Amino acid sequence: MSALEMQGVGFTYPGESAPALVQCTVHAESGAVTWLTGALGAGTSTALLVAAGLAPRHTGGQRSGQVRTLGLDPAGHSSPGSLGGRVALVLSSPATQLSGIAETVAQEVAFAPANLGWPRERIHEGVARALAILGIPHLAGRDPGTLSGGEMQRTVIAAMLVLEPELWLLDEPTSALDAAGRALMHALLRTEAARGAAVLIASEDTDGVAAVADRLIVFEAGRPVLDGRPDDLLRGDPVWNAGAASTTIAALGRAAGIRAPRALTVDEGVAQWAR
Amino acid sequence: MNARLLALLPAAIAINLVVGGLVNALGLPLYLDSIGTILATVLAGPAVGMLAGAIGQLLFGLINGYQWIPFGIIQVVIALLASVAAAQGGFRSMGRTVAWGLLTGLVAGALSSVISYVLFKGVTATGTTAVVTLLRQLGWSLPAAVTASSLALDLADKAVAFAVVGALVRSLPGRMMGRFPRAVRAVGR
Amino acid sequence: MTAAPGSFAARAHPFTPLVVTLCIAVVAIALPGPAAVLYLYAATLILVVLTGTGRAALRALVPLAPLWFFLVLLHGVLGDGEQTTVLGVALSRNGLTLAATQAARLGAIATASLALYTSFSPARFVDAVAERGWPFSMSYLVVATLLALPRFRARAASILEAQRSRGLRLRGSPLNRARAIGPITFPLLLGALAEVDERGFALETRAASGVTRRTALAPPPDTRMDRLTRWAAVAAAGSAVAWRVLG
Repeated sequence: MSALEMQGVGFTYPGESAPALVQCTVHAESGAVTWLTGALGAGTSTALLVAAGLAPRHTGGQRSGQVRTLGLDPAGHSSPGSLGGRVALVLSSPATQLSGIAETVAQEVAFAPANLGWPRERIHEGVARALAILGIPHLAGRDPGTLSGGEMQRTVIAAMLVLEPELWLLDEPTSALDAAGRALMHALLRTEAARGAAVLIASEDTDGVAAVADRLIVFEAGRPVLDGRPDDLLRGDPVWNAGAASTTIAALGRAAGIRAPRALTVDEGVAQWAR
Repeated sequence: MNARLLALLPAAIAINLVVGGLVNALGLPLYLDSIGTILATVLAGPAVGMLAGAIGQLLFGLINGYQWIPFGIIQVVIALLASVAAAQGGFRSMGRTVAWGLLTGLVAGALSSVISYVLFKGVTATGTTAVVTLLRQLGWSLPAAVTASSLALDLADKAVAFAVVGALVRSLPGRMMGRFPRAVRAVGR
Repeated sequence: MTAAPGSFAARAHPFTPLVVTLCIAVVAIALPGPAAVLYLYAATLILVVLTGTGRAALRALVPLAPLWFFLVLLHGVLGDGEQTTVLGVALSRNGLTLAATQAARLGAIATASLALYTSFSPARFVDAVAERGWPFSMSYLVVATLLALPRFRARAASILEAQRSRGLRLRGSPLNRARAIGPITFPLLLGALAEVDERGFALETRAASGVTRRTALAPPPDTRMDRLTRWAAVAAAGSAVAWRVLG
C-alpha cells in the first residue's frame, strides 16, 4: 500500500467558486521521491495540505474523493492531527514554522518529540543527530529569532527530521536556502527515501529536484495531467504545454528550437549539441 | 485547544499590548489595547476574544503593576459586545462598525469609571488622572470627574478600535477570510 | 530572564516566584495602611534585592513615579480636613496618609511584578508545567505570548520606520496623527494573520495540540526551600486576609 493515496480528490477553498483540486489522483510510494510541479495556482500546495489533512481541517472548504495518508483519513475526526509525528510538513517560509516558545535551536528541534512524550534520552540523541545531518550543530544554543533565513529553514527541517517520519510533505522547502543548503536538502531527500520514507515534494527548483526525484507529476488547473519518470517527461513538450517548466538546459534547447527529446544537463547538452 | 487557536491567541494578546505602545508613540490620547480582543472575537468567537482580552490584561498588569488587572473585566465585556456585533453583521460598513464601537465605548467607559473609583479613588492612568485633576479644580466632584474623563476616552478609543478591525476584516482576501467563517458573517457576506 | 545567574531567583522552581508575587499582591491589598503597607513595601524591596532581582526595584520606579505624583496631587492638594505645610505647599494630612497608603501598595505590587518578570524563564516554566503533567496549552499560551511581545514590538517599530520613510506624517494635528493609525496597524495585523495561518499548520504537524503528556526536557528541581517558601507566602496572604476580614 502506498504511503499516500489520493483518489479522485476534489477540493474547494471556502469563499472561492473555482475548485483548487479536480479529480486529483496521486499515489506516493514509500522509498521513493515523488515530485509535484506546475504553474502558480495549479494546486500542488493544496494537494500537500489535503494530504496532511490540514485542508479542510484548518482551512475549511469542501473535500470530495478519498484520501488515505499512512492508511488513515488525515482529516478524519478520529485521527490525531499530527498522525502521531509520522508525517512531516515543511513549508517555504521558515519564520512562521517556528514553535514560538523555543529559546534555543536545540529546544526548537526538540519541540515535536517532547509533545509526543518521547523519553528525554531519545530526544537528546535525536536532536543531536538531526542538527548534525543538517550541518548546524554549532547553532544548538542560539536563539531561533536571531537566525538567518537559511539557518532557520535548516532548523525547521531538522525539527521534522528528528521525528524520523514515514511521510515527508514539502512545499518549496529550499526557497530560503543557499546553493549549499539546497544541495544538502536534495541529498537528504534521497537518504530519507533510502530509509524507507515516502517523500512528496512540490518544487519549482527543477534543476535541483530533477536529479533526485523518482517520479514527476505535473499539475495544471488543479488536476494532475502528466505522471511519469522525470527523465522522460522533462525531455518532451507536454511538460511545457501544461504550464510547468523543465531544466534550464532543456529550456535553452527549447528556446533555440531544438526538438524533443532534449538534453537535461550541461553534460548532455554538450554531448548533444557539440556534434 | 486546537493548534489554530494556539497560534491565534498569542498573536491577539501581543497585538493588544503592542498597538497601545504604538499609539503612545503617536502621542494620541487613546489606549487601543483591545484591537486584539476584538479581532480574535470576530475571527474565532467570544470565548477566544475573552481569553485574549483577559490574559492580555493579566500580562499587562504583571509587567506594569497589578492595579491594571481588574480592568480585564472590561476586555471580557468588549469581547461579548463585539461578538454580538459580529453576529449581527455589524462590521458590514464603516458607519455600522463605528456605531457598535461607540456603544461598546459607552459600556466600557461606565465600567471603567466604576472600577477606577471603587478600587483606586480615581488614580490609575496618568492621562485620565490629569483630566480628573483638572475637572476637580473646576469644582467637579471626584466621582463626576472620573466618570466624565473615563467615558470620553473610552468612546473615542473603542470607536477607533472597532473601525480598525472592521476595515481590516473587510479587506481580507477571500481565501483568508474563508478560514474564519465567523468573520464572513461579521462583514455580512 | 535577566536575574543574576546563581541567585535565588534564577535557581528557584518557576512556580515559587509566581506564588510569592501573588501573595505579596494579596497582602498589599488586604493590609490596612499606612504603616503596615509601608513596611510591606520595604520588605518587598529587601526581598527583591536579596533574591537577585534588585534591578526590578529601580525599574518599577518608572511607572510608579508619575502615579505617586498624582496621588499626592489628588489626595494631598485636593483632599479635605486638617492641613499641613510641606515645602511651602498646603496639603491635607488625611489626604497625605491616604496617598502614602496607596503609593506603598502600588509600590509593593509593581516591584514584585517586575521582579517576577525578570526572573521568568520560559523553558523552565514549560518544563515545570510538563513535569506536573498539566495541559501543554496552558504553558504554551503564556510563553508564546511573552516571547511574541518583543517580536511584535520590533515589527511595529520597523513598520513605523518604513512608513515614515514613505512620507507618513507622525506629527501635526490630532486628526493628522489619527490618520497614521491605519498605515501602521494594518501591516502589523495582516502580517499577524498570515503568520497565524502558517504557524497553525506547523503546530498541528508538530503535535502541539495533542493529548499526550509532554516530556520535560530539563525539569527544574523543586527543593524543600521552594515548597517552604510557597507555603509561607500562602500562609502570610491567608493571615492578612483573615486579619482584614475579622480584625
